[in-house]
Amino acid sequence: MWDTVFPYLLSGISVGGQYALIAIGYTMVYGILRLINFAHGDVFMAAGIIMVYIAASGIPLWISVPLVLIITAAVGFVIERVAYKPLRSAPRMSAMISAIGVSYTLQNLVLYITGGLNKQYPTIPVISDSVRIGPATTKVVTIVTPVLVILLVVALVLLISKTKIGMAMRAVSKDFETAQLMGIKINSVISTTFVIGSFLAGVGSVLYFTNYPTVIQTSGAMPGLKAFVAAVFGGIGSIPGAVVGAFIIGIMENLIKGLDVILFKAGLVSKPLGLAIFSDAFTFALLIIILVVKPTGLFGEKTTDKV
Amino acid sequence: MSEMSEMDIRTVPDMKTDGETVLQLDHLTMQFGGVIAVNDFSMHIDRGEIVALIGPNGAGKTTAFNCVTSVYQPTRGRILFHGKEIGSERMHRTPDRITALGIARTFQNIRLFSGMTVFDNIMTAMHLRRKSNLFTQVLHLNGEEERKNRETAWKLLETVGLTEAAEELATSLPYGKQRLLEIARALATEPTLLLLDEPAAGMNPQETDELGQFIVRIKNEFNLTVFMIEHHMNLVMDISDRIYVLDFGRPIANGTPEEVQQNPVVIAAYLGVEEE
Amino acid sequence: MRKKSRKPAVLTWIIVAVIYAAVFAAEQLLPPSSMLFTVLKKGATYALVAVSMNLLNGFTGIFSLGQAGFMMIGAYVYAIFTIPAESRPVVYQYYDGGLIQFSLPVVVALVLAGLAAAFFAFLIGLPVLRLKSDYLAIATLGFAEIMRVLIQWNNMGPLTNGSNMLRLYPSFNDFNIRNANGEVTVYLSTLVPFLIAGVCIGLIVLLLNSGYGRALKSIRDDEIAAEAMGINLAHHKRLSFCISSFFAGVGGAMLAMYQTTVQAKFFTTAMTYEILLIVVIGGVGSVTGSVLSSFLFVAASEWWLRFLDEKQIIGSLEVPLLRNGFRLVVFSIIIMVVVLFFRKGIMGTRELPDLFREKRKEAVK
Repeated sequence: MWDTVFPYLLSGISVGGQYALIAIGYTMVYGILRLINFAHGDVFMAAGIIMVYIAASGIPLWISVPLVLIITAAVGFVIERVAYKPLRSAPRMSAMISAIGVSYTLQNLVLYITGGLNKQYPTIPVISDSVRIGPATTKVVTIVTPVLVILLVVALVLLISKTKIGMAMRAVSKDFETAQLMGIKINSVISTTFVIGSFLAGVGSVLYFTNYPTVIQTSGAMPGLKAFVAAVFGGIGSIPGAVVGAFIIGIMENLIKGLDVILFKAGLVSKPLGLAIFSDAFTFALLIIILVVKPTGLFGEKTTDKV
Repeated sequence: MSEMSEMDIRTVPDMKTDGETVLQLDHLTMQFGGVIAVNDFSMHIDRGEIVALIGPNGAGKTTAFNCVTSVYQPTRGRILFHGKEIGSERMHRTPDRITALGIARTFQNIRLFSGMTVFDNIMTAMHLRRKSNLFTQVLHLNGEEERKNRETAWKLLETVGLTEAAEELATSLPYGKQRLLEIARALATEPTLLLLDEPAAGMNPQETDELGQFIVRIKNEFNLTVFMIEHHMNLVMDISDRIYVLDFGRPIANGTPEEVQQNPVVIAAYLGVEEE
Repeated sequence: MRKKSRKPAVLTWIIVAVIYAAVFAAEQLLPPSSMLFTVLKKGATYALVAVSMNLLNGFTGIFSLGQAGFMMIGAYVYAIFTIPAESRPVVYQYYDGGLIQFSLPVVVALVLAGLAAAFFAFLIGLPVLRLKSDYLAIATLGFAEIMRVLIQWNNMGPLTNGSNMLRLYPSFNDFNIRNANGEVTVYLSTLVPFLIAGVCIGLIVLLLNSGYGRALKSIRDDEIAAEAMGINLAHHKRLSFCISSFFAGVGGAMLAMYQTTVQAKFFTTAMTYEILLIVVIGGVGSVTGSVLSSFLFVAASEWWLRFLDEKQIIGSLEVPLLRNGFRLVVFSIIIMVVVLFFRKGIMGTRELPDLFREKRKEAVK
């Protein structure tokens, strides 16, 4: 039984870690701007495509990986300045529509550049190597991911709680107007948030596409949505919440992928039910349940509207 | 400092009057987390009265209104309308059902329907009293009702003197007229009790004076009972039958305008407690 | 009482009548393969879907992203119930001819498509409509994804044909009247979608102009004030959600007729986004805007901007940048420009009759 479940569990932890890195971007932006950045999943995809083209140009990997992360952070910065900043005083719906527009634009831009073809992600040495853990064979990236996620989250939490910019971030997410009145430079705080979020999505993309090594313009849509669900599940605005939520979703979805095999080997079903296709649907069902039962998520704070 | 003065305040009990009680608050308390916005507030309004609720900023006046109109559910205490419980710690209705009972309100920070004309703002408030259903309305088979509603809406606009502006966007009106439109809109829901939240805010002395006469006029014309929050003391003293005073959420005085005006506790609350 | 001028309404009716007459005439005169008809058919379909989305997003202020899901339900219901019995073994070849062995008339199936979508809207609305704007958006989006997976599930195969396509049901071309030899005598394949969309959009306009329409707009403008004026939020939001989904379902059925095949994998989130962007370009809160923008969008993407996707050689010079996908890039840029700089879209909140009226005062800022 354990031998059957373990490989699914392992890849669940791995993909959960990758979702976590995307989810942090969602949760930080929402915490500050109250905006679902629909384009965030596409920034993640763009990071993948940028890597493909940089690697193809012959730049050695030890330069190309940091380069990709820097470019991705810059992409996030530019998107915020161009598409969200002008709408800061507009109704919330406008900003959300703009985010959808950016998502549409990024996908179409990549479609144009790649011709809509699947692009092979470069093989990154060491983390692409196979390794055997107990009953499962997997890539090194599977083990690297959760470790790296925890390190990055600790660093981020330290940044937010110890540094000046972190303090400003907390102030802005608590009360936008007051923070502005107190002389906090709102625009630089927001830009920093987007840079950090995009940087982490870039890290996530390196790990994710090492596991699933093809990139196409729609590659970011599903992981993006799932990471968003993870952020809501954990309590939007909460970084630890997003990480915990992402791991739970990653693990659950992989267990569902393997449910037919697991049930069959356990002798509970005689023929496969084709349940694997529900791995995506599960995430959304979870979202709806969470929103109805506890809209603030696992670690979210309650807010009240003023009349 | 503030804690000291908060402890000094003594809750003053409600005084019985002879009339037929329309609205009664029975030991109403509203708490948000650690903040007690309204604290053990009992009061009543009789049919045909104009009763004012006054108090310094942040005294909990609007919160009391929001409890009556069911925007908030009280933490403790009861709200009775014509002797029937309409809100309490156990009972919560959506605000539209309170309006259906005959309690209409205006808002401190004007909440008109910004995308609609002045006329449509009034028509919208009549939706509640319509007898026709979705099908007859969509197929426009409710001609008679629609015609009557339009007439009533027009009369209401005449009452507030806004007929000229009927087809303009509600938010294009000057501030004072927006307040009048809000009152007309509230009247369109056919209330028996009208709650006015700072109706004279932002008006000059002359406009305030006119507003006072206007409130008395609509009270008589529409057979209303009026409960209002107001800061303009001249207006309050001119038209109110009785006054309740809140400070830090507690009722500190009540009575006729003369009684309240001379009450040392009220004077202290407004001027700030200086002797300690 | 004041008197309203009848002139704008009369002019509007004349314009609509002229358009319908022109569509009918064009269809009899021009070759049926003309690109114009592709644009008109798909445009009419999108117009209905965009208006139904506008009813929800623009007039009720509910930001829903479930449109593609409700269209898919409509498309499937229509297709499932209209495939002729003799074609079923071919279509459902992997599922022994499928579960359903009868077919309904097209009109009945269209209504059923709408009702099915409205029914699902009712169910999903119970939990979802209580949510705030952006949460509601993501929950409805999630719902559409769940439905898409459910339809493709192998165990649903006898009903939905799983992930295989449904086909051979009546399409727009089947509305043409033919003589005994099978030759077309009267072309109706464009007029009929215009009629279906026209009737549906007409009903939506009637709704918007009724007391219920005002109630919905009041919710959009200020929920708290609407509730204080006695409007039951839950009831009216549910109503708007179900009605919008009904017409999205009918629109989905029309899309099925247009495409002649139905497959769940096409009803993606991207489709919802596309319709949302059409609504934004037309003007959030304008039926006329949604209709205009649908035809413009379809015409631009299917016809006018097609050249951007192909290599163009002028003289001996190859025009740079032009190749597959460039059209969509240009499109995206136009959309972003509208979203950022022309937020009111083509029409703002005005309608066709408003264009014949005197101008209203603008709101004081």
